[in-house]
Amino acid sequence: MTAVDAERGGVRAIGAEAAPTRFARGWHCLGLSERFRDGRPHAVDAFGQRLVVFESGDGRLNVLDAYCRHMGGNLAEGTVKGDEIACPFHDWRWGGDGRCKRIPYARRVPLRARTASWTTLDQDGLLLVWNDPEGNPPPPEVAIPRIEGATRDDWTDWVWGETVVHANCREVIDNVVDMAHFFYVHYSFPTYFKNIFEGHVATQVMKGVRRPDVRPPKAGEGGRVMTGNSSVASYHGPSFMIDDLTYHYDTMDVECVLINCHYPIDANSFVLQSGIIVRRGEGMEGTAADETATKLAAFIAMGFEQDVRIWKSKTRIDNPLLCEEDGPVYQLRRWYEQFYVDVADVRPEMVERFEFELDTSRTTEAWQAEVEANIARRAAAGRPA
Amino acid sequence: MTVRRDDRLADGPGMRPVRCDRCGAGVEARKASWQQTSVQWTAAAAAACAERRAAPGGQDGGLFLGCEALRASITRAALDGALVVPDP
Ligand code: FES
Ligand SMILES: [Fe+2]
Repeated sequence: MTAVDAERGGVRAIGAEAAPTRFARGWHCLGLSERFRDGRPHAVDAFGQRLVVFESGDGRLNVLDAYCRHMGGNLAEGTVKGDEIACPFHDWRWGGDGRCKRIPYARRVPLRARTASWTTLDQDGLLLVWNDPEGNPPPPEVAIPRIEGATRDDWTDWVWGETVVHANCREVIDNVVDMAHFFYVHYSFPTYFKNIFEGHVATQVMKGVRRPDVRPPKAGEGGRVMTGNSSVASYHGPSFMIDDLTYHYDTMDVECVLINCHYPIDANSFVLQSGIIVRRGEGMEGTAADETATKLAAFIAMGFEQDVRIWKSKTRIDNPLLCEEDGPVYQLRRWYEQFYVDVADVRPEMVERFEFELDTSRTTEAWQAEVEANIARRAAAGRPA
Repeated sequence: MTVRRDDRLADGPGMRPVRCDRCGAGVEARKASWQQTSVQWTAAAAAACAERRAAPGGQDGGLFLGCEALRASITRAALDGALVVPDP
């Protein structure tokens, strides 16, 4: 649609351009790295292409375009031979740098025997790939920060999950600023909400309380009663969010790190992933932290399903109509756009610091009333709150 | 992917210049209510902010939650009427 879609006869029109066919510049996580370390090549559909991921003999994880430049064989169906991936069609050997190293039946490798390769990083148990339509190497200042707990004994291992979503990945980014959906879609109760965008980082600070109409205050978890949560979640680039998340109980706090990340399959689908680790310690002895991590992972998977149900049936919208209790959707999208233009075209307003603190006085009042009405309705129907 | 304009900036108060009483950093701010605040920084303002410089990681891009002195300056601007806060 053009700019003239705003209003006709007082009717608000929804404007939406097609989703971009370009894929974001930035680090993308393909999942737990150990999954790719089984000596076999793996096919991954990402950035509108089919990729092959393989561990070479030297222990490096490599990502190449899956289709062999010789006659189009699928390298993901090939075999790892030493430091190279061998094509199943005529055994051409491709190195992690994208160069054909050897053709066993030929005297020499032809000129131009180079395929597309992606810079990879195996960090904190996760395989990250650098995508850049301009083909530049990753600048150090956009490196994904280390997650301390991921390699420490006093934290659990990752509990990882993923799901394919048939929508453009901007939908998941919008969640960064969408406070109200946390109440209506995820049945949580935010009481504090602030966004900060600066450089390549977009942050959401959120505090919330337990909803007694959804989670009755039963003393299920080892006698503890949950009271609320605090979360500081930052996207480092277009697709990788680290959330320092604490669940508050009457007697203790449970510290977690939650990863919420994705990679685009194509313009209209993406793989949404989550990972969680939980800190061991007082009240979290033995296997308690591992059990909590598993439980929380199931809870997060449910949260994804709640989002997916909305995304499946909603329409793409470039001109959301906002009330003052909504977050800074436009400023978030202005930030997000920096990953879809050439580096030379990144404008100051895309990266300059912007802060937005939401007024939660009205939302808290409205939601408190709704929670109480839900409890009263259930009591009247003779069911326990 | 052209990013459009937030109608709230036209329909409610706009972003207005505010200067930090402590370091002199010039930002644009908006208050849709007494509890809501938007702050648009520039690179120059971020470089001038004394609290940001002092904060751990404030310079190397670590998370800086916000400047208290600037926050107080914005509140003062709202109380002075320099920032118009719509009636509830
Ligand atoms: S197509 Fe790959 S070796 Fe021939
Ligand atoms: Fe959501």
